[in-house]
Amino acid sequence: MESKFSIELSGNIAKLTLVGRLDATNAAVFQEELKKISGQQVTKVVFFAKDLEYIASAGLRVMIFAKQKLCQDAQVYLVGAQEAVLNVVKMSGLDTFMAIQDTFQE
Amino acid sequence: MEKISFPAKLENLEAMIDFIIAFAQNKKFPDDKLNQIRLACEEVLVNVINYAYPGSPGEVEIVCSEAGGKGVIIEVMDSGIPFNPLEKEPPDISQPIERRKIGGLGIFLAKKVMDELSYERKENKNSLRLVKYA
Repeated sequence: MESKFSIELSGNIAKLTLVGRLDATNAAVFQEELKKISGQQVTKVVFFAKDLEYIASAGLRVMIFAKQKLCQDAQVYLVGAQEAVLNVVKMSGLDTFMAIQDTFQE
Repeated sequence: MEKISFPAKLENLEAMIDFIIAFAQNKKFPDDKLNQIRLACEEVLVNVINYAYPGSPGEVEIVCSEAGGKGVIIEVMDSGIPFNPLEKEPPDISQPIERRKIGGLGIFLAKKVMDELSYERKENKNSLRLVKYA
Protein backbone atom coordinates (compact mmCIF):
# COMPACT_ATOMS: atom_id res chain seq x y z
CA MET A 1 0.00 0.00 0.00
CA GLU A 2 1.38 3.38 -0.96
CA SER A 3 2.03 5.64 2.03
CA LYS A 4 0.16 8.92 2.07
CA PHE A 5 -1.04 11.46 4.55
CA SER A 6 -3.82 13.95 4.18
CA ILE A 7 -5.26 16.58 6.39
CA GLU A 8 -8.68 18.13 6.48
CA LEU A 9 -9.83 20.88 8.77
CA SER A 10 -13.51 20.81 9.54
CA GLY A 11 -14.50 23.46 12.03
CA ASN A 12 -12.15 23.10 14.96
CA ILE A 13 -11.37 19.47 14.19
CA ALA A 14 -8.23 18.53 12.31
CA LYS A 15 -8.67 15.16 10.64
CA LEU A 16 -5.52 13.38 9.54
CA THR A 17 -5.71 10.24 7.49
CA LEU A 18 -2.64 7.98 7.57
CA VAL A 19 -2.13 5.25 5.00
CA GLY A 20 0.67 2.71 4.59
CA ARG A 21 3.82 3.25 6.61
CA LEU A 22 4.86 6.17 8.74
CA ASP A 23 8.59 5.85 9.19
CA ALA A 24 11.91 7.67 8.94
CA THR A 25 11.67 7.87 5.15
CA ASN A 26 8.45 9.87 5.11
CA ALA A 27 7.90 11.40 8.56
CA ALA A 28 9.18 14.74 7.28
CA VAL A 29 6.44 14.78 4.63
CA PHE A 30 3.87 14.18 7.33
CA GLN A 31 5.34 16.92 9.50
CA GLU A 32 5.10 19.38 6.61
CA GLU A 33 1.47 18.42 6.08
CA LEU A 34 0.79 19.05 9.77
CA LYS A 35 2.09 22.60 9.56
CA LYS A 36 -1.05 23.42 7.61
CA ILE A 37 -2.95 23.48 10.88
CA SER A 38 -0.39 25.64 12.62
CA GLY A 39 -1.99 28.83 13.93
CA GLN A 40 -5.53 27.48 13.45
CA GLN A 41 -8.00 27.19 16.31
CA VAL A 42 -7.88 23.42 16.60
CA THR A 43 -9.55 21.76 19.58
CA LYS A 44 -9.36 18.18 18.33
CA VAL A 45 -6.69 16.37 16.36
CA VAL A 46 -7.89 13.04 14.98
CA PHE A 47 -5.49 10.51 13.46
CA PHE A 48 -7.47 8.09 11.29
CA ALA A 49 -5.18 5.07 11.21
CA LYS A 50 -7.29 2.21 9.83
CA ASP A 51 -4.98 1.80 6.84
CA LEU A 52 -1.75 2.52 8.68
CA GLU A 53 0.24 -0.71 8.62
CA TYR A 54 3.38 0.35 10.41
CA ILE A 55 4.71 3.15 12.54
CA ALA A 56 8.26 3.75 13.75
CA SER A 57 9.63 6.25 16.26
CA ALA A 58 10.01 8.88 13.53
CA GLY A 59 6.23 8.77 13.09
CA LEU A 60 5.56 8.89 16.82
CA ARG A 61 7.80 11.93 17.05
CA VAL A 62 5.60 13.78 14.60
CA MET A 63 2.56 12.94 16.73
CA ILE A 64 4.36 14.34 19.78
CA PHE A 65 5.35 17.37 17.72
CA ALA A 66 1.72 17.93 16.75
CA LYS A 67 0.64 18.02 20.35
CA GLN A 68 3.59 19.99 21.75
CA LYS A 69 4.09 22.59 19.06
CA LEU A 70 0.90 22.95 17.08
CA CYS A 71 -2.03 22.45 19.35
CA GLN A 72 -1.11 22.18 23.02
CA ASP A 73 -4.69 22.45 24.17
CA ALA A 74 -6.25 20.06 21.69
CA GLN A 75 -7.52 16.60 22.53
CA VAL A 76 -5.81 13.98 20.37
CA TYR A 77 -7.58 10.87 19.05
CA LEU A 78 -6.23 7.72 17.44
CA VAL A 79 -8.98 6.01 15.54
CA GLY A 80 -9.17 2.50 14.07
CA ALA A 81 -5.50 1.66 14.58
CA GLN A 82 -4.36 -1.85 13.73
CA GLU A 83 -2.84 -3.95 16.46
CA ALA A 84 0.75 -3.55 15.20
CA VAL A 85 0.47 0.23 15.31
CA LEU A 86 -1.39 0.27 18.60
CA ASN A 87 1.28 -1.88 20.24
CA VAL A 88 4.02 0.57 19.29
CA VAL A 89 1.95 3.51 20.52
CA LYS A 90 1.37 1.76 23.84
CA MET A 91 4.99 0.68 24.25
CA SER A 92 5.99 4.33 23.88
CA GLY A 93 3.44 5.45 26.45
CA LEU A 94 1.67 7.69 23.93
CA ASP A 95 -1.68 6.06 24.65
CA THR A 96 -1.85 8.16 27.80
CA PHE A 97 -2.39 11.37 25.85
CA MET A 98 -4.56 10.04 23.04
CA ALA A 99 -8.11 8.83 23.14
CA ILE A 100 -7.97 5.42 21.45
CA GLN A 101 -11.17 4.62 19.56
CA ASP A 102 -12.41 2.12 16.99
CA THR A 103 -14.58 4.72 15.28
CA PHE A 104 -14.43 8.45 15.87
CA GLN A 105 -16.72 9.70 18.60
CA GLU A 106 -16.40 13.29 19.72
CA MET B 1 24.85 -16.09 6.15
CA GLU B 2 24.13 -13.15 3.90
CA LYS B 3 25.76 -9.76 3.92
CA ILE B 4 25.47 -6.48 2.13
CA SER B 5 26.68 -2.93 2.54
CA PHE B 6 25.21 0.42 1.65
CA PRO B 7 26.22 4.07 1.84
CA ALA B 8 24.78 5.22 5.18
CA LYS B 9 22.06 7.42 3.72
CA LEU B 10 18.37 7.70 4.43
CA GLU B 11 17.58 7.08 0.76
CA ASN B 12 18.96 3.54 1.20
CA LEU B 13 16.98 2.72 4.35
CA GLU B 14 14.21 0.94 2.52
CA ALA B 15 16.64 -1.26 0.58
CA MET B 16 18.49 -2.12 3.82
CA ILE B 17 15.27 -3.16 5.54
CA ASP B 18 14.07 -5.08 2.48
CA PHE B 19 17.29 -7.10 2.56
CA ILE B 20 16.75 -8.02 6.22
CA ILE B 21 13.04 -8.76 5.85
CA ALA B 22 13.68 -11.00 2.81
CA PHE B 23 16.12 -13.02 4.93
CA ALA B 24 13.67 -13.27 7.83
CA GLN B 25 10.78 -14.20 5.55
CA ASN B 26 12.69 -17.30 4.51
CA LYS B 27 12.85 -18.31 8.17
CA LYS B 28 9.07 -18.40 8.38
CA PHE B 29 8.49 -15.57 10.83
CA PRO B 30 4.84 -14.67 11.33
CA ASP B 31 3.81 -11.20 10.13
CA ASP B 32 3.69 -9.62 13.58
CA LYS B 33 7.27 -10.64 14.30
CA LEU B 34 8.41 -9.49 10.86
CA ASN B 35 6.94 -6.11 11.72
CA GLN B 36 8.90 -6.07 14.97
CA ILE B 37 12.11 -6.92 13.12
CA ARG B 38 11.34 -4.12 10.66
CA LEU B 39 10.84 -1.67 13.51
CA ALA B 40 14.00 -2.58 15.43
CA CYS B 41 16.15 -2.57 12.30
CA GLU B 42 14.77 0.76 11.16
CA GLU B 43 15.55 2.35 14.52
CA VAL B 44 19.08 0.97 14.65
CA LEU B 45 19.83 1.84 11.01
CA VAL B 46 18.41 5.36 11.29
CA ASN B 47 20.72 5.90 14.25
CA VAL B 48 23.73 4.93 12.15
CA ILE B 49 22.54 7.03 9.19
CA ASN B 50 22.00 10.10 11.36
CA TYR B 51 24.91 9.94 13.77
CA ALA B 52 27.74 7.58 12.75
CA TYR B 53 29.39 9.80 10.15
CA PRO B 54 28.95 13.46 11.02
CA GLY B 55 29.88 15.57 8.02
CA SER B 56 31.38 12.77 5.95
CA PRO B 57 30.09 9.80 3.97
CA GLY B 58 30.36 6.24 5.28
CA GLU B 59 29.05 2.73 4.93
CA VAL B 60 26.71 0.54 6.90
CA GLU B 61 27.23 -3.22 6.77
CA ILE B 62 24.45 -5.68 7.45
CA VAL B 63 25.01 -9.36 8.15
CA CYS B 64 22.08 -11.74 8.56
CA SER B 65 22.51 -15.25 9.87
CA GLU B 66 20.50 -18.00 11.48
CA ALA B 67 20.23 -18.29 15.24
CA GLY B 68 20.50 -22.05 15.64
CA GLY B 69 17.65 -22.69 13.22
CA LYS B 70 15.22 -20.94 15.54
CA GLY B 71 15.56 -17.33 14.57
CA VAL B 72 17.70 -14.65 13.01
CA ILE B 73 20.76 -12.70 14.04
CA ILE B 74 21.15 -9.32 12.40
CA GLU B 75 24.41 -7.47 12.78
CA VAL B 76 24.59 -3.80 11.87
CA MET B 77 28.10 -2.36 11.64
CA ASP B 78 29.60 1.02 10.90
CA SER B 79 33.10 2.47 10.97
CA GLY B 80 31.95 5.77 12.40
CA ILE B 81 32.64 7.43 15.72
CA PRO B 82 32.58 4.95 18.64
CA PHE B 83 29.08 5.05 20.07
CA ASN B 84 27.04 2.62 22.10
CA PRO B 85 23.39 3.64 21.71
CA LEU B 86 22.37 1.12 24.39
CA GLU B 87 24.09 3.23 27.04
CA LYS B 88 21.87 6.17 26.30
CA GLU B 89 19.38 7.05 29.00
CA PRO B 90 15.98 5.59 28.04
CA PRO B 91 13.14 8.09 27.63
CA ASP B 92 10.82 8.56 30.58
CA ILE B 93 7.58 7.36 29.04
CA SER B 94 5.62 8.23 32.16
CA GLN B 95 6.18 11.94 31.60
CA PRO B 96 3.13 13.87 30.46
CA ILE B 97 3.17 14.59 26.75
CA GLU B 98 3.93 18.27 27.20
CA ARG B 99 7.25 17.36 28.77
CA ARG B 100 8.14 14.32 26.71
CA LYS B 101 11.54 14.49 25.08
CA ILE B 102 11.70 13.66 21.43
CA GLY B 103 14.92 11.59 21.44
CA GLY B 104 15.79 8.09 22.57
CA LEU B 105 12.49 6.49 21.67
CA GLY B 106 13.83 4.48 18.73
CA ILE B 107 16.42 2.43 20.58
CA PHE B 108 13.99 2.01 23.47
CA LEU B 109 11.49 0.40 21.04
CA ALA B 110 14.17 -1.74 19.40
CA LYS B 111 15.11 -3.18 22.81
CA LYS B 112 11.48 -3.92 23.57
CA VAL B 113 10.66 -5.81 20.39
CA MET B 114 13.83 -7.88 19.96
CA ASP B 115 14.77 -10.89 22.06
CA GLU B 116 18.36 -9.70 22.32
CA LEU B 117 20.12 -6.46 21.48
CA SER B 118 23.79 -5.97 22.24
CA TYR B 119 26.64 -3.66 21.31
CA GLU B 120 30.28 -4.41 20.71
CA ARG B 121 33.18 -2.31 19.50
CA LYS B 122 35.31 -4.56 17.32
CA GLU B 123 37.94 -3.99 14.63
CA ASN B 124 37.36 -0.25 14.90
CA LYS B 125 33.68 -0.70 14.15
CA ASN B 126 30.45 -0.24 16.05
CA SER B 127 28.52 -3.48 15.94
CA LEU B 128 24.95 -3.89 17.07
CA ARG B 129 23.62 -7.41 17.22
CA LEU B 130 19.89 -8.00 17.11
CA VAL B 131 18.37 -11.41 17.71
CA LYS B 132 14.77 -12.46 17.17
CA TYR B 133 13.38 -15.95 17.62
CA ALA B 134 10.53 -17.20 15.45
